[in-house]
Amino acid sequence: MKLKIFVPFIVLFSVNTSSAQNLKSQFDLANNLFKENHFFDAITEYKRLLFFDSAKYYLADAYYKIGECYKAGTKFDDAIKYFSLAEINSIDVQKIFDCKIQIIRNNILRRTTDRALQLCEKTFNDERFNIKRDTVNYWRGWAYIFADDFESAALHFAKINHNHELKILCEQTDNAKLSVTFAKVISYILPGSGSIYSGNFFSGLLSLTWNVFAGYLTINSFLQNRIFDGFVSGELLWLRFYRGSIQNAEKFTIEKNLDISNKALRYLQNEYKGIKP
Amino acid sequence: MPKLLRNRAKLNMKIKISLIDALLAVFILIALFNSLHAQTDWVKWEAKEINYEFQKTAGHEYKIDSSSFGMTILSLARNAYYFFISDLDGDNCPFSPSCSQFFLNAVKETSIFKGTLMFADRFTRDLNLFKGLNHYPINRANKYYDPEENYTLHSNKIKL
Amino acid sequence: MLHKLQSKIVILLVLVYFIFLNDFTYCQSTNSNNLFSPENRLRFGNSLYIENDYLRAANEFKEYLKINFNDTVQFKFANCFFKIGRFQEAADNLKSLFFSSSLSEEAKLLYYESIFFHKDIKSFRELFSQKKYYPLKYDFVIERMNSILLLYDDSTLPAPNLLFKSFPDTVQSQLNNFYLRKKFPQNKSAVTAALLSTIVPGAGKIYTGEIGDGITAFFTTLLSAYLAYDNFKSDHQFKGWLFTGLAAFFYGGSIYGSAASAQIYNAALRFNLDKEIKLFFEQRNYFLPEIDY
Repeated sequence: MKLKIFVPFIVLFSVNTSSAQNLKSQFDLANNLFKENHFFDAITEYKRLLFFDSAKYYLADAYYKIGECYKAGTKFDDAIKYFSLAEINSIDVQKIFDCKIQIIRNNILRRTTDRALQLCEKTFNDERFNIKRDTVNYWRGWAYIFADDFESAALHFAKINHNHELKILCEQTDNAKLSVTFAKVISYILPGSGSIYSGNFFSGLLSLTWNVFAGYLTINSFLQNRIFDGFVSGELLWLRFYRGSIQNAEKFTIEKNLDISNKALRYLQNEYKGIKP
Repeated sequence: MPKLLRNRAKLNMKIKISLIDALLAVFILIALFNSLHAQTDWVKWEAKEINYEFQKTAGHEYKIDSSSFGMTILSLARNAYYFFISDLDGDNCPFSPSCSQFFLNAVKETSIFKGTLMFADRFTRDLNLFKGLNHYPINRANKYYDPEENYTLHSNKIKL
Repeated sequence: MLHKLQSKIVILLVLVYFIFLNDFTYCQSTNSNNLFSPENRLRFGNSLYIENDYLRAANEFKEYLKINFNDTVQFKFANCFFKIGRFQEAADNLKSLFFSSSLSEEAKLLYYESIFFHKDIKSFRELFSQKKYYPLKYDFVIERMNSILLLYDDSTLPAPNLLFKSFPDTVQSQLNNFYLRKKFPQNKSAVTAALLSTIVPGAGKIYTGEIGDGITAFFTTLLSAYLAYDNFKSDHQFKGWLFTGLAAFFYGGSIYGSAASAQIYNAALRFNLDKEIKLFFEQRNYFLPEIDY
């Protein structure tokens, strides 16, 4: 008699267990698709899991994985949305932190580095994550790298470790860069010198030649009282090439600095062994 | 007793914070759920590799057009112009394609005579100090988009 | 005795609780413990459809339809393709609903809409003229779509009272305005513009509305001509011929440019009118009814 009472419980319990087992299998299926890089299909299976998981047991994990799928497909807006949802639905502090860091990383990759830095600041000041400040500084550094501010990046990597690999790289990159202001100023004084400073010797020499030639024509015209000719050669030649030399000084210096930054970024993307955004 | 009161106060604070957090979470959830309706997955996509490098602005292309002898000479002359003059006097042309490129394209599209007339018209329009009032479309590089197809006198080729 | 009764009541309450819990999870979870059963695929597909995740919803519906054919699901399956702009596939998947289906009129309407939005004017005209797969319930809607296509197209327009008879009265005046502007455009003549610039350099450009260009052309030609004259007068032959060439350059450019600007003016007129017409219909969803399925 007593046994009979327990039979329905056993039946109901087994049904519930098998239901939970189904959801576990579904989660595993979605994870396998994720591991095989079938991200679009993985999202479908995670969404299927979410739909059938009425107890919302897998809510945070599924949202997190969907975010990772979108990140792999470089759909950063969607990735951030789902990481935010994962964060809201997470209870565990570590999981919340992981979600916040993922949102920061996606903002870095999306090149919305201002937002990434804002989030870093907020996370840094959050008392729950006091022991994670090194991690936050690490991602701050990366945000500054993607904002092309290697000096600030070096400062933040230094806070983790004075001999941090990325600190040394950022310092080297920053030191190798040329000064755009200096290039422009010397071009004002001597046309073409800014281009030579940035490594474009031939262009700088040619610019100097044109300026000297145009200057000679203009001054000669004025000396010979050919005012109109003087104005034409001054406006159409001398001023044009003088302005051009300043523009080129700025352009070549910026380009050179971009090359230096890109060299560092190429190293970070292809050779750096640490965690990347 | 005071310890009990302190603990109680702490608990009340925690409850208040968690209530506020919960309200905030609900609000964000509602907002995010609404935006989830906007759909970007209407085409199946694959994983993509992102490039960390910064994009550089493209400079002049020193191409040689070998479609005919005349075009080869013209493109060599254009390259010489780029090298000795255009690359040194700064970014002066507000149009895209630039006047030199426009001339070359116009000659290629029509003939040397018609191309020269098209270039003469383009040069005059470039001299207009109030060209911004002419409703030229502006492209990504902040230049007035003015292709040579619009000036061939074939109305079906006009691109607006 | 009391103790036994209490324990029985407790057991009963727990049993009832489990039944409710299981019932709840059972309905939301699985019917047959298989998330990929046809019924579960349909339920999941419907939720994706509501979220506008049409490509995934279409896949779920497709799997469901492999096992069970259902009018509404077939319609939704086709509608998924319609929503994501794959109009040809939408049209192909609607054909099975044309006959002996409760949604046959709606399917035929969506079919015409698919051809319409696919911009397959030739097919639409053929279907309309032959009244093929014609939804009689939505006769006025198809007529409207045909009128819209005629207005977009540059072919001969019928009389406005025939063209716009199926549209509401509130928009008749706007449609008539479009009609008049389409039928009688205020074009500029390229020949007139060129002739004007021949007489007065830059006048042709002013005629086409390019006042700044016209004034520039006038002054550059005038200045070059004056400089040529001045240099010849001062016996500077080289400079004289240089400025003569320049004057001819600007003069020829002005005449050519005037003709070209007239053509651009006419093209811009056409382009802006077409854009206005398109925007007008887009804002009103092409006067298409909401299909209730």
